[in-house]
Amino acid sequence: MISSLIRSSKPFLATAAIITLIAAWLPLIPVLAPLFSFQAFQDLADPRLQSLLGRTLWLSFCAASLSALLGIPAAILSHRIRLPFASLAVLLLPLPLLLPPLLLAQAWHGLTGMDGPWAAVFSLGLCGVPFVALFASQALERQSASAQESALLIGGPFLALRTWLRCVLPAAFFGATITFLFTATDFAVPDYFAAVGDKFSVYAAEVFNGWRSEDLLSGANTAAPLVLLAAVAFYIALVIRDRSRHEESGLGKGSPPIDSGRHSVFLSLLLWAILALVLLLPIGRILWETGAAGPEANGDWFSRSADAFQNAIERGRFDLLRSLRTGILAGAFTLLLAPFWAHFLLHRKPGRRTRLLQVALALPLLSPSVGTGLGAILIWNRPLTADFYDSWLLPPLILAGRFLPLAVFLLVERMERIPRSQDDAAQLAGTPYPQRIFCYLLGPQRATWLLSGALVAVFAIRELDLAVLLPAANPSAAVRYYNALHFARDGFVAAFGLLIALILFLPVVLHYLHQNLKGIKDS
Amino acid sequence: MPCYSSPMRKPNWTATLPLLLASCGAEADLVVYCSLDQVHSEKIIQLFEERSGLNVSAQWDVEANKTIGMVNRLLAEKSRPHADVYWNNEIAQTLRLKRAGVTAPYFSPSAQAIPASFKDSEGHWTGFAARARVFLYREDLPGQHAPPPRVESMLLPEFAPHGGLARPLTGTTLTHFSVLSQQQGKDAVLQWLREAKNSGLSFGPGNAAAMRRVCEGDFPWCLTDTDDAAAARRNGYPVHLLYPDQQEDAPGTLLIPNTACLILNAPHPENGKRFLDFLLSEEVEAILASADSEQIPLRPTVPTPEHIQLPGKDFRAMAVDWEAAALELEARQDDFKELFLE
Repeated sequence: MISSLIRSSKPFLATAAIITLIAAWLPLIPVLAPLFSFQAFQDLADPRLQSLLGRTLWLSFCAASLSALLGIPAAILSHRIRLPFASLAVLLLPLPLLLPPLLLAQAWHGLTGMDGPWAAVFSLGLCGVPFVALFASQALERQSASAQESALLIGGPFLALRTWLRCVLPAAFFGATITFLFTATDFAVPDYFAAVGDKFSVYAAEVFNGWRSEDLLSGANTAAPLVLLAAVAFYIALVIRDRSRHEESGLGKGSPPIDSGRHSVFLSLLLWAILALVLLLPIGRILWETGAAGPEANGDWFSRSADAFQNAIERGRFDLLRSLRTGILAGAFTLLLAPFWAHFLLHRKPGRRTRLLQVALALPLLSPSVGTGLGAILIWNRPLTADFYDSWLLPPLILAGRFLPLAVFLLVERMERIPRSQDDAAQLAGTPYPQRIFCYLLGPQRATWLLSGALVAVFAIRELDLAVLLPAANPSAAVRYYNALHFARDGFVAAFGLLIALILFLPVVLHYLHQNLKGIKDS
Repeated sequence: MPCYSSPMRKPNWTATLPLLLASCGAEADLVVYCSLDQVHSEKIIQLFEERSGLNVSAQWDVEANKTIGMVNRLLAEKSRPHADVYWNNEIAQTLRLKRAGVTAPYFSPSAQAIPASFKDSEGHWTGFAARARVFLYREDLPGQHAPPPRVESMLLPEFAPHGGLARPLTGTTLTHFSVLSQQQGKDAVLQWLREAKNSGLSFGPGNAAAMRRVCEGDFPWCLTDTDDAAAARRNGYPVHLLYPDQQEDAPGTLLIPNTACLILNAPHPENGKRFLDFLLSEEVEAILASADSEQIPLRPTVPTPEHIQLPGKDFRAMAVDWEAAALELEARQDDFKELFLE
């Protein structure tokens, strides 16, 4: 009985669905209820809201385009062309995801003095480059060696470039859609750049103000059109991705990077110029801010910077530890949940129903986190579930539910590489379902599997709204960080931000060094 | 069929468990929700913990990313409160909680000397340690653009292009303009804001952002709070303060106090009262006055550092009917939003 149960996928998928229901969907009920009422959309007749929504969509489109414009070359240069230090670039490219967009926006303002809507587009677009690069590089790694070799033989590097672009564009579009969603729901960065010069606002600010009204859930009404539009954008991205699957089988041996020949210097410069924009320049500015002060400040830059780091370690270390615990647990939940969802989605026939299911899975990511937090309070803060509400298990579960879609879609992208026959053979041989998933399907894709968990852990640690609203999540690095940011403790904020990024980045560096040492040893 | 690698390899739980369990503390004897700057309030909460021997769980609010924060959390948790005490860094949202039936009455003996205008007659909230709404300015920037002597003069052509303030959508700026609306009438204030928007004044996301812009030299003065001004000075910027509306025919400078309240049906009401007695003491006002945020004590008997300007002695404070101002805030929020979110 037990052995037949563990061979079947149904009990595991049912368990995954129940956990997803608890973690992701139940807290959304109060937020998403207005989607089914006419009332929420009636307000859109107001020209002011139409203008806000139109501007938000335009700015988000521009930011998403910028992220694609830089993310695609970054992915191709770092994954398909043999360049010096390309592996270091691959390592550094996701690093901006560890830093809050507001901190990066302040760094860009400090560097250039920029303001206005285009500054918001520039800053948020750069924040989205890692999403595009990440999904595009996964797609490139899925491309078969034969396709690349044929293109090189027939048409040389330019035809190879065309095949890369054809392979990359759907995934890049998917990454750009995520940038679009994050930009559309961000109001802190546009607000920051609207202080001087062009005064403008965005729809997310209207949503935020909705949450402040007497009626707790009136914010949900205001948010409904944005959630619906985000869901439509996401659906379109899925359609495009599904169509590309038919064109690219993705099976077989992965293609190796090609030599860049005499263009090596130029292409390296291009790659590092993108990295400078996305990461090195803003991080340099943030580092400078750890010791920056007015002309009447005591001490020199080094002493002030050292003080700021010491302060950050002293004040923030326990919060950082708690955030790490929450992030690791959220990542662990994801590592267990996401493979089942990814496998289930891969084995469903592509079509409208499958895409709608994926949109449903992505709903926590498409909905405002404030609403999710309030929903979690209304659903779980009841006498019967009081212990669960108060416990430190609730935040990682809710956070895992919110960021699960990122992990699932990343895994779907990679699991497509595994020949279906292999999974079928394992099923016929009576292999238990978890073993099929975790050994045969994820075994060769372990790096991506771990990356998906790490991505969720990072976003869980960065998440602010849920940290403020959920009891056990409140004593956290995010709350301390943003609390200090509000009160203009610039040195502390910069040092603590860098410290958080450094600690989150450390495992990646160790993994990189381990792989390199292993490579040297093997050769 | 071979297993390609070992993702199912037994993890080293002995190494990871201590990390995961590291901060799962014992059950709290008192839960405090706090909107004051964490770096200042946590010292005071720790001091109370040391003296009382109680295990206090403190939860902080954040405004930088404009979360809806503790007030909405308290409203959402109303049916089963999690907090015992709410320590707010301003007053309007506390009054909102009182109207929503979230707070419980408590007359702390420590608060007897606090002026009646900063206390609720029914005991639902008590004010202490305040911030003043002031002009922060720099004299070292080219052009010598001094701030106006009155808040209402900000939109005059000689001042407006050189100054900034936060949009009146959140925080103390929202409270400030709600007070003005209650005192001068909504039409006058809305008309003033309409003109201000087109006058060249800069409107930022918050007081700290406005202060930061002055420090960076984007404009020479801004309307902000005294704690933000203190942060600018502490960071080494050559800034000065001007307490506005000190003329005989002017209303005086607005003082916005911290407020503290006991939560109705709180899980630990007696411990909550003990904490309120401590928080509302002269000693805490003195600590907050000496701290980096330089909060202004409401009791003249509290010892303060020399550079702290005191109401009644160094400047004239505005008289405010807080209940009426909070009602005005609820009524004007949408008007302000329509003006500034477009």
